[in-house]
Amino acid sequence: MPKKNQPTTNRGNANHKRLRIRQAGSRSARHQRNYTIPDYRLEKPSFELRQVRDGDTIRYEVSGKLNSSVPPIRDSKYLSKQQCIEIYRWMLLNRKMETALENLYKQGKVVGGVYFGLGQEACSCASAYALQEDEWLGPLIRNQGSLLVRGFSAADIMMQYMAKAGSPTKGRDASSHFGDIQNRNVVAPISTLGDLIPVLAGVALGARLQRKNIAVMTYIGDGGQSTGVTYEGLNFAAVQNLGLVLFVENNLWGYSTPADMQFRVKDLAERAIAYGIPGVIVDGTDPCQVYDAAHEACQRARRGEGPTLIEAKMMRMKGHAIHDAAEYVPKALFEYWKKRDPIARSEDYLVRQKKWLTREENLKLIAEVDAELETQRERAVASPMPTAESAAGGAYCEAGCHEIKPKYGMQKFSNKKSLRSRESETAVHLK
Amino acid sequence: MPTLTYLEAIRQGIWEEMERDPTVFCIGEDIGIYGGAFKVTDGFIDHFGPERVIDTPIAESAIVGAAFGAALTGMRPVAEFQFMDFIGCAFNQITNMVAKAHYRWGAPAPLVIRGPSGGNVHGGPFHSQNPEMYFVHTPGLKVVCPATAYDAKGLIKAAIRDNNPVIFFEHKYLYRRIKEELPDDDYLVPIGKARISREGRDLSIITYAAMVHVAMEAAELLSKEGIELEVLDLRTLSPIDREAIANTVRKTNKVMVLHEDVRTGGIAGEISAVINEEAFDSLDGPIVRLTALDTPVPFSPPQEEYFLPKVGDVIREARTLAAY
Repeated sequence: MPKKNQPTTNRGNANHKRLRIRQAGSRSARHQRNYTIPDYRLEKPSFELRQVRDGDTIRYEVSGKLNSSVPPIRDSKYLSKQQCIEIYRWMLLNRKMETALENLYKQGKVVGGVYFGLGQEACSCASAYALQEDEWLGPLIRNQGSLLVRGFSAADIMMQYMAKAGSPTKGRDASSHFGDIQNRNVVAPISTLGDLIPVLAGVALGARLQRKNIAVMTYIGDGGQSTGVTYEGLNFAAVQNLGLVLFVENNLWGYSTPADMQFRVKDLAERAIAYGIPGVIVDGTDPCQVYDAAHEACQRARRGEGPTLIEAKMMRMKGHAIHDAAEYVPKALFEYWKKRDPIARSEDYLVRQKKWLTREENLKLIAEVDAELETQRERAVASPMPTAESAAGGAYCEAGCHEIKPKYGMQKFSNKKSLRSRESETAVHLK
Repeated sequence: MPTLTYLEAIRQGIWEEMERDPTVFCIGEDIGIYGGAFKVTDGFIDHFGPERVIDTPIAESAIVGAAFGAALTGMRPVAEFQFMDFIGCAFNQITNMVAKAHYRWGAPAPLVIRGPSGGNVHGGPFHSQNPEMYFVHTPGLKVVCPATAYDAKGLIKAAIRDNNPVIFFEHKYLYRRIKEELPDDDYLVPIGKARISREGRDLSIITYAAMVHVAMEAAELLSKEGIELEVLDLRTLSPIDREAIANTVRKTNKVMVLHEDVRTGGIAGEISAVINEEAFDSLDGPIVRLTALDTPVPFSPPQEEYFLPKVGDVIREARTLAAY
């Protein structure tokens, strides 16, 4: 191997076979400073949020251009008419399922809370839509739409919330905390944030060891990106050049804490510069922008060109969970983002602007989604609660419960020579 | 039959598994060209290539997370921790992401997290710890602590083939201090089974890892006084071999638990409870705990010597217990 201080022009030396799968670009390109962060948005809202005293209390106050006109959906470079309609349908299913969950909660059928992705459906659905079937996704709590796109049913998600025996975790965990390594290639999230990032990177590593470059996708919020494991995971993916597509969903609030109190950079996409990977900004309420960025990032991943960070800007249109009325969010912000509702804008785009759906077709599609959800809701409600004893067992994979085999097939590595001992020459830290 | 050190036995075990199974790979800090801080993976990168011997950034959560992700695709990663003292950095990944995966969503995690633990090498508070009990306390993990070269090789191979996450604590004091002749065949040592290191009739010492050798040395000296110790080497702390514990208590009726881990929350407490549940009627005396102090591991040699249980301590406690 060349010594570290050798000039990089020596890399062509025929005696030094390059062993690592590295960035497709040349070594010198890797060291070029390129700080461009493409921003695909058609408007760039800029608000200032301050804590102000209001009588006896302190509250958040927002200032800035809050009455600007709503931008159009940006035409996709890649999506067909049919695909745009499909994504719109997923978004409808996502939202209507959450409305159904809210009703189930009010009827006392939900155990614990309900988490919503209201206002974020475009980001969840259009991002997951860019993955191929044999690729992987790790959702966060608000990415229930992503789970639908990956092939889970609305009933699966509703049963999770109702802690039913028929839920994917058989009652053992709640909400979007489930996955499937056999068919849908979804990694179950845990409640702490950022932990999926190294895991999804590892999925890409596993696939690469099986000679296949795949795209793997996960999400992190403006709050979650503050964690150390976010850095560890994304840096690892960057160093190892793994096909991670990381959506940074900047929805402005981490529980009750505004984004300004989580980080100092202007745009979280700027973080990509520090990892040495591409970063882009999209309007998270525009499914076409989300899809196009996701698609390009997935294509990079499939070519073995490494990770991409995509910052999707939008706002969480509910509280942290159903118990939280989000009274700390200035009303003017809700009003601003309500006008940018991803589903209303998509409907307008498909029906009035593009005329890809007639009014009747649109109504029919909505009715179909409603009917599907009603069937799913009934199925979910009908599922029994798990037996008490089913709490026991299952912490370990016992003999015969799973067959473990390489997902993408695997050739045997060639053997070169046998193990030799260098015991006598070793210098170690502690003896 | 070749004579191998404890460290060479582990190295050979991993090597053989990598030869046997292309899904096995190593990941960790400085394990490639350098061969690992203790040289366990010395020469691996030359033979298996950098794809299967992966040097990582200093990022323990990323190491465990990536190992878990790769395991989900059917790989069998062997993740090295440079020192097991640093495992706290990856605590959340191990205890929440990995350990709960099978129970929550039926995802097996066939991965090994291995590395050096234990003191008596003057490594100070951050290079001498015995952090095994954090993981014994976590359902979903297996915890292995071999004491001999034979067991170290057989257990690392069993750990790699296991479909569950295994935390494999190698005792760094033993790395180059013990040697034995190992068979040439592809043997495994089952996880979850203790081993009687020495048969005896008068009292039982239940222990593991480096303390097995302390117990054995004490047993030889006590034998000259006519006190015959039985030494039970646990080999695996989780799942613990309840049957072997009960059997030795039923045989000798007196029991001492010896470990290098700190006293409070150490496995001696759990073993006492197991004896209470399984063999209370067989006890002829109190269960004696001989452990390290409830302090961090001190650096200076006289302090560390005071901190650790010694042969003399075992002899003193054994004489008292034998008199019951």
